Amino acid sequence: MSSLSSSLAIASQSLQAQELEIQVTNNNIANVNTAGYTRETVNLAEAGAIQEGSVSVGEGVDIVGVNSVRDNLLTLRIQQQTSQQSSAQAQVNALTQIESLFPTSGTSLSSSLSSFFTSLSSLSTDPTSTADRQTVLQNAQTVVDQFNSISAGLSGPSSGLDTNVDTDVTQVNQLSSEAASLNVQLLQQQAAGQSTGTITDQLNQVETQLATLTNITVTHTSQGDSIVTGNGTPLVIGSQSYALRTAIGTDGHQQVWDSNGTDITSAISGGDLGGTIEVRDTQIPALQNSLDTLANQFATAFNAAQEQGYDQNGNAGAALFTIPTTVAGSAAGISLATTDPTAIAASSDNLANTSGSNGNVASLLAVQNASLASGSVTTQSANLIYQIGNLTATATAQSTAITQSLTTLNNQQGSLSGVSIDQESANLIQFQQAYQAAAKVISTIQSLFETTINMIS
Amino acid sequence: MRFNPNINAAVISDIQQSEDNLQTAFQQESTGLRVNSASDDPAASAALVQVQAQAANIDQYTANADSIIAQAQTADGVVSSVVQYLTQAITLGTEGANSDESTADKAAISAQVQGLLQSVVGLANTTYQGVSLFGGSYSGQAFTGNPTSGYTYQGNSDVNQVNVGDSLTVQVNIPGSTLFTSSSGNVIAALSGLATALTTGTTTDIGNATAAVTTALNYVTQQHAVYGNTINQLNSQETYLSQEKVTLTSRENSLVGIDPATAAEQLSQAETENSSVLAAAAKVIQNSLLNYLSPTS
Repeated sequence: MSSLSSSLAIASQSLQAQELEIQVTNNNIANVNTAGYTRETVNLAEAGAIQEGSVSVGEGVDIVGVNSVRDNLLTLRIQQQTSQQSSAQAQVNALTQIESLFPTSGTSLSSSLSSFFTSLSSLSTDPTSTADRQTVLQNAQTVVDQFNSISAGLSGPSSGLDTNVDTDVTQVNQLSSEAASLNVQLLQQQAAGQSTGTITDQLNQVETQLATLTNITVTHTSQGDSIVTGNGTPLVIGSQSYALRTAIGTDGHQQVWDSNGTDITSAISGGDLGGTIEVRDTQIPALQNSLDTLANQFATAFNAAQEQGYDQNGNAGAALFTIPTTVAGSAAGISLATTDPTAIAASSDNLANTSGSNGNVASLLAVQNASLASGSVTTQSANLIYQIGNLTATATAQSTAITQSLTTLNNQQGSLSGVSIDQESANLIQFQQAYQAAAKVISTIQSLFETTINMIS
Repeated sequence: MRFNPNINAAVISDIQQSEDNLQTAFQQESTGLRVNSASDDPAASAALVQVQAQAANIDQYTANADSIIAQAQTADGVVSSVVQYLTQAITLGTEGANSDESTADKAAISAQVQGLLQSVVGLANTTYQGVSLFGGSYSGQAFTGNPTSGYTYQGNSDVNQVNVGDSLTVQVNIPGSTLFTSSSGNVIAALSGLATALTTGTTTDIGNATAAVTTALNYVTQQHAVYGNTINQLNSQETYLSQEKVTLTSRENSLVGIDPATAAEQLSQAETENSSVLAAAAKVIQNSLLNYLSPTS
């Protein structure tokens, strides 16, 4: 039955609703710069109408709850792209360092190889010149130094990347246990029928951070969010988190083990961890192998050419370079076998006093363009430049492309879930007016009550 | 449609992108290079390295050619003198073959021929950069001996070849055994034969000995041409090499270089873009509804 008291009840409910609106608006404004915050809206509904004869009158407003405005699919896509983005970025960071070992101008491996051969060519015009022989030897030393320092330059970042793997895994574990405890809170709040917006925001935030470390798959279950790595290793299931651990493997690098004691290093992809492992276990070894192959084939071919000739003293030519017996480690292990400039086997004549012969220089020079097992010396050193350049360029292009698509996705998410100060300000005015109106209703009803009471007295 | 209210992130990313472009344009303008590291263009960088190696070889071939030309010119001068001496010897021989000459006159002529022989041996022992020019690869003096006991060739028949092109080698030296004591024209033997014939021989002997000197002269003249040819060949090779060098430099430039005008245009474009992005950002990020709501409303 319609009465002043029921009108008062409607008005006071309206006041509460507007207060809640103002509070949520306030909270939105307060969190305008909070990372991972999803704007909230108050869900209001018309209260059921009551029938008075032929007239149906609404019973005011009901507060249904507070909702976060989010799109779960978008969040998952952002997490996925984030993990690819940070993988590409990790590769760019590591490869840019390595790229500086292979400059395209100034002193480089290829320029020192080229100088070595031109100094030999110069020796051919005057095979008895000690100065020319000394230059050849110095250039040979430069070649050796280049091989040594590039090899060291490749293993340097490699050990730095181990540290990255270690810290990444520590962070993954920390975030996993955070996610597990958030799952517990989520279930408690759900059970209590409370709004889960804040917990979900936090959970999404933790998951996005996890995604920057490695590729993850998130599944929303009745037990909270299940998080597994790209290869299916569980990190979080319900309230339980499973820690990964690191240990030095047989290759001397940090390996990642799951909680069951299985080595999952090679199965990890995406994220900073995946990108780091990719560079450390695939890209650097490939470059190292190319470098070792070049060092080995160059030194072997040159030594063989030396042995065809005779040194300045008429003795049979001996190896100029000392190299390890295996291809692996050749670049790190290559060294000059002699410091004696007369040891260069320029001569093809072993008769007495024939130091003026340059007959073997042609064989020594031929090493530059001879087709060795993996291509000529020049081709191989050019290929190395291509290899590192291509790796870096690919990773950079990938990073740029993903950054663009990530920007688009973030924009989409922002347009859906971001707090707009303009919108909140406008809402605030709207709610203020509604609140004022409801308050006016109450004061009106109060004066009506007074009128009625005065009527009685 | 709701728009992303937080445009700061997008604005900052635009500014960064524009600054990155500006930096790239500046680097290209200041270095004149489109490729400054291998990742700028991996294929061009790899090709560049090969072109650089080729260019270094071309430079070395040119240096080699210069040095061989100098050596060949020295040798050429020596052989010219030898030819002159031989011509003189033939004149002397012809004079000595004249039956009117007295024995004393012949002895005097013989002494002159001996003198020529010594001069020729002296020339045959010419050194270049400390090494006998006509001793093959022998490190000592090419010819030893004296007029009385005769001269012996100590050197060997080694011939040095030097690369002056990827597939072009030239012969640097002619060993003394080919030039002075060849079976086709033995200069030393012919001269000493003539000297002997002039002292002890008959007119016929002197005639024969003179003929032998003529044969030697013809032979040496042939060999002389070898030097001339070498020098000509090297000169034309140097011309080719300098053209090749120009070709390689322009290839290098087309691989990694950037046209200065294009670079300057890109730089000014990047500058304009950068300032407009900054100006736009400054305008857009301060706009808000709050600026227009009066405090009393």
